[in-house]
Amino acid sequence: MRDAYVMGAGQSPFGSFPEETYLTLFDEAFDSALDSVEGDFSPDMIEEAYLGTLGVGGRQLGLSGPAVTEHVGLHGIPTTRVENACAASGYAFRQAVTAVRSGMVDVALAGGYEVMTDASSDHTRWWLGVSGQTEWERTSGTTFAGVYAQMASAHMEQYDTTVEDLSRVAVKNHGNGAQNPKAHLGFECSLDDAVSAPPVADPLNLYHCCPTTDGASAVVVASEDVAKEYDDAPVRVAGTGASSGKVGLFQRESLTSIPASVRAGEDAYEAAGIGPEDLDFAEVHDCFAIAELLAYEDLGFCDRGEAGRLLREGVTDPDGELPTNTSGGLKSKGHPIGATGTGQIVEAFEQLRGEAHVQVDDPRYGLAHNVGGSGGGVTVHILEREEAA
Amino acid sequence: MRGVTAAGVYLPRFRLSTEETQEAWGTAHASGIERKAVPAADEDALTMAIAAAERALDGGPVDRGSLNLVAAATTTPPLEEGEFVPRLVRALDLPADVASSTATQHAAAGAEALGRALDADGPALVVVSDCPEGDPADSDHPLGAGAAAFVIDDDPVVAVRDIAWHSDDTPGVRFRERGEENVESLGITTYERNVVREGVTEAVSALDVDAESATGAAVHQRDGKFPYRAAGDAALSNEAVAAGTVVDRVGDAGAATVPIGLLSALSEADGSELTVAAFFGSGTAAAVAFEGGLPVTGIDTVDGGDPIDYTAYLRERGYVVEGEVTGGGAHVSIPTWRRSLDQRYRLVAGECPECGGVTFPPEGACQACHSRVEFEQFEAPRTGTVRALTVIGQGGAPPEFATLQQRDGAFAVAIIALDAEDGAVTLPAQITDTDPESVDVGDTVRATIRRIYTQEGVPRYGVKFTPDG
Repeated sequence: MRDAYVMGAGQSPFGSFPEETYLTLFDEAFDSALDSVEGDFSPDMIEEAYLGTLGVGGRQLGLSGPAVTEHVGLHGIPTTRVENACAASGYAFRQAVTAVRSGMVDVALAGGYEVMTDASSDHTRWWLGVSGQTEWERTSGTTFAGVYAQMASAHMEQYDTTVEDLSRVAVKNHGNGAQNPKAHLGFECSLDDAVSAPPVADPLNLYHCCPTTDGASAVVVASEDVAKEYDDAPVRVAGTGASSGKVGLFQRESLTSIPASVRAGEDAYEAAGIGPEDLDFAEVHDCFAIAELLAYEDLGFCDRGEAGRLLREGVTDPDGELPTNTSGGLKSKGHPIGATGTGQIVEAFEQLRGEAHVQVDDPRYGLAHNVGGSGGGVTVHILEREEAA
Repeated sequence: MRGVTAAGVYLPRFRLSTEETQEAWGTAHASGIERKAVPAADEDALTMAIAAAERALDGGPVDRGSLNLVAAATTTPPLEEGEFVPRLVRALDLPADVASSTATQHAAAGAEALGRALDADGPALVVVSDCPEGDPADSDHPLGAGAAAFVIDDDPVVAVRDIAWHSDDTPGVRFRERGEENVESLGITTYERNVVREGVTEAVSALDVDAESATGAAVHQRDGKFPYRAAGDAALSNEAVAAGTVVDRVGDAGAATVPIGLLSALSEADGSELTVAAFFGSGTAAAVAFEGGLPVTGIDTVDGGDPIDYTAYLRERGYVVEGEVTGGGAHVSIPTWRRSLDQRYRLVAGECPECGGVTFPPEGACQACHSRVEFEQFEAPRTGTVRALTVIGQGGAPPEFATLQQRDGAFAVAIIALDAEDGAVTLPAQITDTDPESVDVGDTVRATIRRIYTQEGVPRYGVKFTPDG
């Protein structure tokens, strides 16, 4: 199987843009992705598209993928809309990589889009948590904040994790996001701010929860031959992993881990031939603060129960051993559900090209970890900057 | 000879003191009532009926599978036209071929249900449950809530010696207009008192027993004074009336007040002592004579309960909250909900015949070994342990629960493990009837059936948990 490469990646600003539509937001992301490709690249080379969205609000539930590609002038190409909740575009990227690796196409587009802030508060509340387990989890009165809060309670009970540990995720990620002009909540916050914010779903408070965000992201994936025509040091997709899990937390083997993250991570490391110690940075799915702690443990950044220590010791700070969520993460950069997975690839791509806003020193390997719902579907991708030929 | 073989009482947790009402309104129309029982926001006549019936059936002499009849009585069925007994049947796991009867429309409905059960063959369940509403400014003041359940059978512990009826037209005495929620009376005080006393006296006098010798008497009790006044004419002693009066602590629980008072008296009665119940409802009076006594699960709660203030009362009862759930987003359809009733009411889970692992709900591949198998179904125990926990504040819940939050405030949602033979049944559920902040991981909790939410006019019921002990 041949390799796949990321030729370009870009995103719209993430934020609250109620007057934009999913089409106009994707337009911006697509332009940004095309601009990022080295050399004179024509979008006519794109042969196929995979686009992720949950479809929050109901708007264009059917055929929004083709509507997007036709809107941006990718006339007639086969387009598949991918739905895996918050991991929709992580999976869309996986599909594009697979299409290129298989030899079916030489250039594929992956992306995602979501509009979340243009509906009435009543209407919006119907849509928050639609990817939770509907029959039991939702009818027990929880949305996602509640389900992640349950995981936090179990983690705190089992490992003595504290509210301060959770709050350090917000402090770190807001610190990073404040440098990112495309972040939704691009301001810094103090540990005091984060600890004392109003409760949302105890033990999680407002600063332990990501915002609802509008935005789009797009990634151009190509074969080695095409990629190297444009860039002599292109970004290679070194490893992919993905796994499913029970959609309902109550049906899973663990309350303090996301087993699908563990499986996806192991597969991605094995495919890339590296381990977590080889990573130079990571973008992990921090929809809620506890999710970032779980990611550290599930992806092998530390042992079980040690995630709080990693944060306390600054290991995942920008100047630490494994800078994590340099983009600001979902917490600060924002979480436009369908756009988040390829949004993480945008940050990884920029890091590996040395163009990130919070730049890591000369990175080689970066990891992107995208979780659907509370762990029903996960993708992990490891990207590598190749040496110039 | 037929009579009572087992009985149970359920009273909701909250109590509102008449002092609170007095302070709120500057007056209180609740003579002789010290405090009253208040149903929580997720309770109604059906959930209270289920709770009382569970207490009567649990560990009792009659197997629930052998019941021939369920006779229910309430003036406040959750739907004005709609099922009551069939939901009881599913929630209590009673046989589907049980005969059903619901008496409603008047405060003596419990006598009708008892009469029906006494006339039937074989074991019968009688449940009287009520939570009347009134105008908060006045007619609501005395109104309480509660439920009483009786298992009626041959060779009883407490024999029914006689039952007598008296029917007369008494217009304007406690009624509720079609389409209205509030009970009313015209307040023609002397007239109302006279016709009710006459009905009660006639019915008691018609009993083929020596009423004067009764040691207990549960007499129609719309306030704390009336039963003593009526008892004079009916030759019942004040001591007997005191033994059967609960309205002072429970409030006027509509059709359920006399049955709860009756069980209070029976729980104190010995061997051959006589207890009389005297019902009145909109012109129908009935008197029933009982011989003997029996233990009554839950009767101690007549003197218990947690106080609430008047504002909380208005919220819990829904007097100041209007909520209508619209559609949109994720939705559990009624047919899908119905498919899961065995899980929502009876906690039916599946055991994998290959690995012994437990799966809940029992469908799809085994949660433990992921094989596609035919599960062996079993009922999980109704007590379990909190494994994970969150407290959902205002605005943090799906819109189906917005009304509940407005009425009852923040609620706790836990993942609960119910230990089975091999592994545990785990499910997410609300913790109710407690301060959500007082619940911790590791706590022991017990299953109870509550209203989960109402959508498109249809109330949906299912399991929640309460702290155990």
